[in-house]
This record gives sequence, C-alpha cells and structure tokens, in this order.
Amino acid sequence: MDPIVSIRNVTKDYTLGKTVVSALRGVNLEVHKGDFISIAGPSGSGKTTLLNLIGCVDTATGGLVQVVGQSTGQLTERQLTDLRLHAIGFIFQSFNLVSVLSVFQNVEFPLLLQRKWTAAERRKRVDELLTQVGLQSHAKHRPNELSGGQRQRVAIARALVTQPQLVLADEPTANLDSVTGQNIIDLMKDLNKQQGTTFIFSTHDPKVMSHANAVVRIEDGQIKDRISAAEATLAVAAGH
Amino acid sequence: MLQLLLIAVRNLAQHRRRTLLLGGAIAGVTALLVMLQGMTTGIRSTLLESATTLSSGHVNVGGFFKVTAGQGAPVVTEFPKLVEIIRKEVPELDFVTERGRGWAKLIADDGSSVQLGLAGVDITRESGLKKTLKVTQGNLDDLAKPGSVLLFEKQATKLNVKVGDALTISAPAARGANNTVDVTVVAVARDIGFMSGFNCFLNGDSLRQLYQLKEDATGALHIYLKDIESTKVVQERLRKRLVELGYPVMDADPRAFWFKFEVVNREEWTGQKLDITNWEDEVSFVNWIITALDGLTYVLIFVLLIIIAVGVMNTLWIAIRERTREIGTLRAIGMQRRRVLLMFLVEALVLGLASTGVGAVISALLAMGLNAAQIPVVEAAQLITMSDTLSVRVTGGSILGAVVFVTTCTTLISLIPSFLAARMKPVTAMHHIG
Repeated sequence: MDPIVSIRNVTKDYTLGKTVVSALRGVNLEVHKGDFISIAGPSGSGKTTLLNLIGCVDTATGGLVQVVGQSTGQLTERQLTDLRLHAIGFIFQSFNLVSVLSVFQNVEFPLLLQRKWTAAERRKRVDELLTQVGLQSHAKHRPNELSGGQRQRVAIARALVTQPQLVLADEPTANLDSVTGQNIIDLMKDLNKQQGTTFIFSTHDPKVMSHANAVVRIEDGQIKDRISAAEATLAVAAGH
Repeated sequence: MLQLLLIAVRNLAQHRRRTLLLGGAIAGVTALLVMLQGMTTGIRSTLLESATTLSSGHVNVGGFFKVTAGQGAPVVTEFPKLVEIIRKEVPELDFVTERGRGWAKLIADDGSSVQLGLAGVDITRESGLKKTLKVTQGNLDDLAKPGSVLLFEKQATKLNVKVGDALTISAPAARGANNTVDVTVVAVARDIGFMSGFNCFLNGDSLRQLYQLKEDATGALHIYLKDIESTKVVQERLRKRLVELGYPVMDADPRAFWFKFEVVNREEWTGQKLDITNWEDEVSFVNWIITALDGLTYVLIFVLLIIIAVGVMNTLWIAIRERTREIGTLRAIGMQRRRVLLMFLVEALVLGLASTGVGAVISALLAMGLNAAQIPVVEAAQLITMSDTLSVRVTGGSILGAVVFVTTCTTLISLIPSFLAARMKPVTAMHHIG
C-alpha cells in the first residue's frame, strides 16, 4: 500500500540574518492510511517544521515530500492550497477559530471554500460532526463563549468536516488541562478508528503519546527512531 | 460570498470604536462633498434663474446697430421678421420675447439715484417673467402701461421709493446728450440673486421713447426652449440659418453683450449685425465664481481623501496585524489568496458604503434644514452665493455620485493592505503554536 505521506531525505533551513539554521537535516518518514502517529521531541527539535512540510504550509529546502501521492515541491501555491482544502485537516494548539463566526459557521467554512455542497448538504454534514464532538447544542455560540476543550472540539470538527485523508494536529492538548486533553485525544482516537482518518500529531506529553500507534522521536532536526507508544512511555520514564 | 460579508460586518461591529471613528470620517467627507456640490448646484441654479429672468433667454438673438462706425447701440431692427424666422426654425421653442436693452441713471424725487441696466419689456408676452418674479408690492401687469417701471426690493430701498412714486430715467444718448423719461414705480419684486442688484424692468415703449427707437426695434429676442439642454444645438442651427438667409451675424463671442461694445465700435462696418448668444454667454462674467467653487471643492475633497486614505490604510494594517492568525488559519485550511484579498476588500466596501450612506443622509437632511431655515447671506457673500438666502440643492444624482466616488476610493485604497494580507504565508498560523 502506498504511504499517505512519504518524506525522503528532507532538509529545511532558515536564514536568520547571516546565519543559516537547519531545522530539519535529512529526514525520512512514511505514514500510512489509518495511522495514528505522534511526533515527539523537545521544543526546537523540528517537529512543528516537519508538520508544516507535511501540511503543505511550508516548502522543504531539499529532499522530497509526497502527500496523498503528490510531490509538494512541484505544486504551485494555488495547487498547494487546493491540496490543503481537499486532503488535509488542521488542528491547532491555540484552536484558531474565526472569532466572529458561530460554532456552526466555523465548522461549515471549509465546505463553503470547497464550493461543491448545497446548503442542505452542508447543514447535514456540520450537524453530524457537531454531534460527534458533542457540541450540537452549542452550534450558535461564538468561540469566546466556549471553554478551551469545547473550542478544540470545534477545531476537530472543522478539520474533519471535509473528510480529509490526513489530519495534522500540532500539540492539540498543550493549551488544555490534563482531563480535557485526555478527552480530546480519546475523541481523535475514536474518529481514527471509526473513519480510518490518518492522524499525525506532535506532542511532548507522555500521556498523549501513549495513545499513538507509533511515536516518531525527533531530535536536533533528525528522526531519532520510530517506536511503539509503550516503548516511548518507558523511554520518557527512563529519561531518554 | 455571504460568509465573507458576514465576517466583514461582524469584524467591523467587533471593533466598534475604530469603525465609528473611521466611518465617521468617511461620512463627514461624503457629507461635505454633497454639501459643497449642493451649494455649487444651488448657485448655478440661482444663476440660471437670474440670468434667464433678468438678462437673457436660453438663446438670444441680439446684436448691434451702428449709425457710424464708432457708435454701436445694442439694437435689433425689424425684429418681427426675426420672430417669424425663429418660430419657423426652432421647433423646440417654448416662447419668444423681445427685450429692450439700456443703461441709465434712475433718479428719485429726493435726489437719490442708482445706475441700472434697463430691460424694456412687453409684459403681455413675458409669461416666464410672471412665473419667476415674486412681486411684493404693486402689480406686474401694470408694466403694460406706458411710463411704468418695476424695481427690485434693494433698488427700491436705495431709492427710497414705493409703488406709485415717480422716478426720472436719464440715459446717455448719441453725441454726448442725455435723454430722459419720467416713469412711475408700478411694482416691487423680491431680489433674485445679486444680479437683480443692477437690472430693472421698464415698459418697452418707454425704453424706445428714451432711446428714440422705432416700433420694430428692440434690444434682443429672448428665446425660451422647452428643454434647456437643447440650447447649444438651437444656437448653432439659428446662427447657420440666419447667415443663409443673408443676415450679417457676428462671430461667436461667449461674453455678455455689454462687454462687446469696445470690439464692435473698433470695427468699420455700419448698419445691423446680429449676435447669437446663449444664457451662459450672457452671465460668463460671473462664471469664475462657479469655477472657483468647483476648484475649491476638488482641492478640499482631494485633501480630505488623502486623510481618509491614511486612515483606511492604517486601520486595515491594524486589522491585518490583529488577525494574522486568522488569515494564516484560513489560508492553511484552504482559502485561496484572492479570497483573502476579497475578504478585506469586502470589509472596506461595507465600511465605505455604510459610512457614505450615513454621510449622504446627514447631508440631505442638513440641506433640507438649511433651505427651510432660509438663512440670510451677508451682502458681501451674496457675490458668491448669488442669492440673499443660502440655497443648497442636493440632488439624488449628486448623492449617488458622492456615495459611489467615496466608496470606490475607500475600496481602492484598501487594495494595498488587502493585497499584502493575501500574500501572507499560511505557515504564520502554525508559528503561533510552535
């Protein structure tokens, strides 16, 4: 089976004044459909940069990035945007909801961008998603009327509304308390199991890592190893 | 699109103070633009009313008669024939009147006097004059009596006369002599702009008597058209036709007849020459006021638009900085650049439309209030306003024009920050999480 994400010998350099900082140095990674993968590593290790490249919001300095069979380096800005719209869902650490839109309108927004759904189809799809994340009764609320956990649920619903093949979540529980964070990960895991959606999320929280099928550990811009969640939890406990 | 509109409206509502400040400024500029245009239109309209009542028709067939080369008089001879030609050649004609032209001193019994332009009228044919003049004392129809004169209020006050009082009119005639005629004031009319300060109406036969003219001689034929817009077409057609019919016609000279004496008297010809003018030519000596007012309007609006431009750009900059994450998020979840551009343009358009709409309503109400209040204009300013009361004519067209113009400017100005917002990389959104 072809991988949904294939990264080969990818490098990413940033120029800060006269200094060139290498955020990623020859990274190789394959993610398959239905995977629930955690990218773990300390701050500054390169996990966000890696997610940016997989999410097509940034381009690699060198190497090959393939997402849902398309080589991102060969796509135009417009094509990359289309790829993001149709194939990728994003969940952000700070939720990033549009503050002036209601919960319903936030979730509906990607469907409007796709311009292929009727109003009735959009309503049905959004209602389904809001029911799945347990927020149907909050459809008319604005984001500032919700708790952090509820906002992240809205963000998850928005990420899944277009039925993307891949969902990227950058530290999705970092701004939540542990119980709420646990609930969010459980929700993501359920959606992964029920719908087979591929999830890649970054974290440095061992509890969150423990839910993953596999943990990709990254350090100093290089992938250290790819281990199981149990191994990762033990490694964290052992201080590695 | 509806979603973009919703985002725009809600964002504007969310930042109420900023929106009110900028919207207020845009509304103010719109109101000012409408008011200034209203004043210019008011002046233009007063000028048209004054000119077409006092000294001109829409088109005039005037001219000069010279007994000797250096002595031109504003006289048209054998005018009944010309009236026939006009009736035949101008289907757009509403009515035509003849007006004697003169310049004389009016002297009251107590010795006070004024120099005035004289318009000799046959009041039975002056239907337009009857509609326009507001007689405050006496009866306009009495101008049909020989030896009758109509004055305007300010003239009557200056001469200290009322209806029934006698005046002597003294006019310079050929060879340095002065002709005089005694007249009675039969009516006093309300002033019409500042131009009524130097014109009065005299019974046509009395004017002929003053200048010792024949019955078929007059100063000019005033042609009033059903639609003033056809003025230039009729003027040109009449000029050509009169030339074809063998009348000597002066070259086109867009000035009032009394500016032309010097040129006419320098020329060698004698006898009759006709001069075809329109109402704008006859009041061209006051056109500078409208030109100056138009210029002032444009300069003021230009300066104010620059201020608005800075305000709009600055506000959008702040909005874009505040909404960096939102823009990045929308780009990340699949919004194309041009839709981001459109999102900010819609916001500017909504702000522009709402603000200019409010400004237009304010200016319309203000104009209605000012006109209803009949605010008197000080005498010195009447040179500019052409009227003794402030007249602001706000039309639907000028309101629509101002709304479209200011909104378009606001939207165009917002293109720069909107374009830069659209160029923003989606990775910006992710950076906030890092």
